[in-house]
Amino acid sequence: MEDFFQQLTNGLTIGSIYALVALGYTMVYGVLKLINFAHGDLFTIGAYLGLTLLTSMGLSDRLGPFLGIIVLVLMVMGLLAILGALLDRAAYRPLRESPRLSAVVSALGASIFLQNTVMLIYGARSQAYPADIIPMTALDIFGLYIPVARILVLVVSFILMAALYLYIQKTRVGTAIRAAAIDQGAARLMGIDVNRVILYVFLIGPALGGVAGVMVGLLYGQIQFTMGWAFGLKAFTAAILGGIGNIPGAMVGGILLGIIEALGAQYISIAWKDAIAFGVLILILIVRPTGLLGERVADKI
Amino acid sequence: MKKFLFLAMALCFLWSTAEAADTIKIGLMAPLTGSYASEGKEMKQVVELLAADLNAKGGLLGKKVELITDDDGSDAKTAALAAQRLTTKGVMAVIGTYGSSVTEASQGILNEAKIIQIANGSTAIRLSEKGLKYFYRSCPRDDEQGKVAVAAIEKMKVKKVAILHDNSTYAKGLADEVKPQLEKKGMKIVFFDALTKGERDYSASLTKMKGAGPDLVFFTGYYEEAGLLLKQKKEMKWTVPFLGGDATYNVDLLKIAGKDAVAGFAFVMPSLPQYLPSKQAKDFLAAFKKKYGTEPTSPYSVLAGDGFRVITAAIAKTKTTDPDKLADYLHTKFKDKDGLTGTISFNAKGDRVGDVYRYYKFDSMGNIVLQK
Repeated sequence: MEDFFQQLTNGLTIGSIYALVALGYTMVYGVLKLINFAHGDLFTIGAYLGLTLLTSMGLSDRLGPFLGIIVLVLMVMGLLAILGALLDRAAYRPLRESPRLSAVVSALGASIFLQNTVMLIYGARSQAYPADIIPMTALDIFGLYIPVARILVLVVSFILMAALYLYIQKTRVGTAIRAAAIDQGAARLMGIDVNRVILYVFLIGPALGGVAGVMVGLLYGQIQFTMGWAFGLKAFTAAILGGIGNIPGAMVGGILLGIIEALGAQYISIAWKDAIAFGVLILILIVRPTGLLGERVADKI
Repeated sequence: MKKFLFLAMALCFLWSTAEAADTIKIGLMAPLTGSYASEGKEMKQVVELLAADLNAKGGLLGKKVELITDDDGSDAKTAALAAQRLTTKGVMAVIGTYGSSVTEASQGILNEAKIIQIANGSTAIRLSEKGLKYFYRSCPRDDEQGKVAVAAIEKMKVKKVAILHDNSTYAKGLADEVKPQLEKKGMKIVFFDALTKGERDYSASLTKMKGAGPDLVFFTGYYEEAGLLLKQKKEMKWTVPFLGGDATYNVDLLKIAGKDAVAGFAFVMPSLPQYLPSKQAKDFLAAFKKKYGTEPTSPYSVLAGDGFRVITAAIAKTKTTDPDKLADYLHTKFKDKDGLTGTISFNAKGDRVGDVYRYYKFDSMGNIVLQK
C-alpha cells in the first residue's frame, strides 16, 4: 500500500509536467487544428535558456533560491513567448491559407531546425543544472518520502493550470480564443481578430512549455537537446487522452498518463510502462474516440 | 582546350596515386556526432596526437602516417556508410569504434575489404565469435567485465541483488552475463528489469526496486541514466549501494548527480591512464594535457590510442602493410606489449587478453578511488 501511494506521488509529479507541455499542443490544435510538432523543442529551449540565465546571471545567489527561481521562470516564460510568436510568424502564418498538410510538414521542419540549433549552440553532450539550487530534502508524510522539489513542481503546475483555466473562461481574450476554436470564420464575422487570437495562443503555449522545461532542469538536473522529443510525445499523448483541443482535458490527460505509467511500472514491469500507457490510450480512444473530455469529433491528423 | 583538360586530369590522377604511395593511411572511425560525440571527439584528439608524435619521429617504414577520420554518428547505419567510405580511401587499418551495435555494422564491410579493424569500445561477446580474420579489439569483452563485477559484488558480501539494464545490446548482454554467475554464488536476484533510456524521471523504477528490498543494485546501462538514478535515489532517501558497468562512468556523472548523490557509487571500468604506473602512460598524459589543456576523461579514447599504437607497432615490426601478414603477426606473435592501458596481447579470436578492468568507487568528495 505504501508503494501504491509512493507511485501515486511519482506519477503526479511527472504527470503535472506532461500536463503543462500538453497545454501547448492542445491550445494550438484547438484554434488552428494543427499539431505543433515544434512544441517539444520549445520545451527543450526553455530548459536550456533557464540553465544559461541561471549560471550567467547568478540569480539564485543574488535573490535567494526562492525569489531567484520565480524571476528565472518569469524570464524564461517571456523569452519563450517571444520565440513562440516568432515561430508562428516564420513557420505557420505564411501557410495559413494552404492545405493543412503543408503546415504539418512545416511544423516538423521547425522541430528539426530548433533541435539542431540547440545542439549547435550548446553541444550534443547533456548539460547539468547546478545541483545545489533546490535543497534535496524530503518531507516525511506517514512514512512516504516526498522530495520538496517535487511538491514545488506540483504546486507551480497547478497554479499555472488554474490561472490558464480562469484566463480562458473569464477574460475577453479567453472568450475570443474559445470562439476562434469553435469556428474561425464565424469568430471573424463577429469582429474577432483571429490572427491576434492565434498570436496569443502562440504566446501562452510556449511560455508554459518553457516553464515545464525549467522545472525539468531544476528537478532532474540533467537536460539534453533531444529530450523535447520524448516529453513531446508523452505530452501529445496526454493531450489526445484528455481530448485534443480541450484545455481541462490536457490537464486531466497529463496527470492520468503520469499515474498510469507509475502504476504500470509498479504492478506490471518497468520495461513495459510505455507500452502500458499507450495501451490504455488505445483502449480509451476505442471507447471514447474524442478523448476523455473532448466534445467535438476530432479532425483528421 | 580538351587536351589541356585531359592533361590536367592526368596530372591530378598521377599526383593522387603518387601521394597514396607516400603515406600509410590509417582510418579512425569515431562517434563525432550523436550521443557519444564527446567520447568521439576525445578519441580523435588522442589518435591525432599519437599520429603527430609518430610522424615527428620519422613515421613508419620511411613514410608518413596519414590519419583519415570518419564519423559513425553513434549509430549503426551511419557506421556502415563510414566503413564503406573508408574502404574507398585506401586505408590499410581502421581504429574504432565505440558501441557494440555500431561496430557490428562495420565489421563485415571492413573484413571483406581485408582491412584490419581494431575496435576500441565494443565489448559485446558475439563480435569476435564470428571468425573474422581482420577484427581485433583493444578493449576486453563483457565476460571479462562480468567476471570483475561478480568478484566485486562477492566482496561486498550482499545476499539480495537487483539488476537493472536498459535493453541495449551492451547493457542487456552484461546483465544476462552476470545474473547466472551471481545465482551460482548463492546470491538471490530479487529484481531483473529494464528502464527506458532517455527519460528524466526514474522514480517509479526506483520505488519498485526498493520494494524488492535488495542489498545492492547493479546497473549495467549508461552514465546519463546512472546519474539520474543516483540523484533520485538520494532524493527518496534510499541508501542502497549502487554498482555500475563500464558505461556508467563519465565526467558528466558527477555534474548530473552531484557530489552527495555520487558518493559511494562503485563501478567497474578499464583502467584509466591516471591510475597506471607505467612511464608511457604518464608521458602520454602529459603530452595530451600540453596539447589540449585537459586530461582525457573516457577510458575508451585511450583505448583508441592503444589501437593506433598496436597497428603501428605491428607495421614497424613486420615491415609490411600486407593485411594477411599483419593479421598473422597480431594473432600469434604480438604478446605482452606495453600499451597505455597495460600490457596488450591478442588471442586467436582477436580479443585482448589480460586484466584490464578495475573496480572503482567515488568518495564523499567526488574523487574516484581505485579499489583493491
